Amino acid sequence: MKAWQYTGLAIALIFLGVQFVPNDLPEVSQDNPGDLLGSGIVDGEVADLLQTACYNCHSNATKYPWYSQVAPVSWLVAKDVKMAREEVNFSTWAEYELMDQLAILDDIYSNVEEKHMPLPIYITMHAEADLDDVQRQKIVDWAEAAMDIIAEEY
Amino acid sequence: MKKFGLLPAAAIVGLLFFQAAQKPEPEKHPDLNLFDAKMPANVKAVVEQKCYGCHNAESKNEKGKKKLDWDFFESEKKSKQLATMSKINEVLTEGDMPPARFLENKPEGKLSDEEMAILKEWSAGKKKKAE
Repeated sequence: MKAWQYTGLAIALIFLGVQFVPNDLPEVSQDNPGDLLGSGIVDGEVADLLQTACYNCHSNATKYPWYSQVAPVSWLVAKDVKMAREEVNFSTWAEYELMDQLAILDDIYSNVEEKHMPLPIYITMHAEADLDDVQRQKIVDWAEAAMDIIAEEY
Repeated sequence: MKKFGLLPAAAIVGLLFFQAAQKPEPEKHPDLNLFDAKMPANVKAVVEQKCYGCHNAESKNEKGKKKLDWDFFESEKKSKQLATMSKINEVLTEGDMPPARFLENKPEGKLSDEEMAILKEWSAGKKKKAE
């Protein structure tokens, strides 16, 4: 065997080996009574947009594509989803204080407007999350309106 | 000769007094007065001393200005102010502000326990859960 063949074999073995490392992808749950979608503050097209472009990471209802089960991609996905849910988890919306809900909506506003979210790397694999300017504006307008409603309750 | 020496000396001494009397007041930020009505004086005092240096409309610290501009804060609507307060509370609780790198060069910028307590209590607002 030649040197490149040994290298190829080694890479293949390492690839197979890492598949045995547990992937610890965050758990999925479809039963989320405190979800934003049931809060009455969002419906229609914006609700659809959030589900399409945000919910895979920022909710408990993650739909993992097949490649997210394969190391080393699984490690990246696990880390991103875990961090995303810590930052904001729409499935536990009702548990946030009103002021924190306002802070989250304010962050949605700026992150969506400035195209920090959805993450560019996520969009490369999920074309449906590639929001156009009109869609972004709809989310931004909704976030501001929702903030006004919540601030009135406060 | 002695007589002539005395006059300029007296003049200089006199000038010193004059300058001392004319010493300008410590610079104040007129824009901060805008939110007198809403922010408690003790909160405002801490903000002015420990936060305003970076978080103001003319700040050269672009990131600091973008994240929070005290010159703009009070003119914002209630929802935005509450959102900002919540974020202030979070960074204070996490110990992220003032930034560690800033404090390396300016250790006196650190918030005292009392100042920290004042800002945290104010920024917590009245905790209220969604119904």
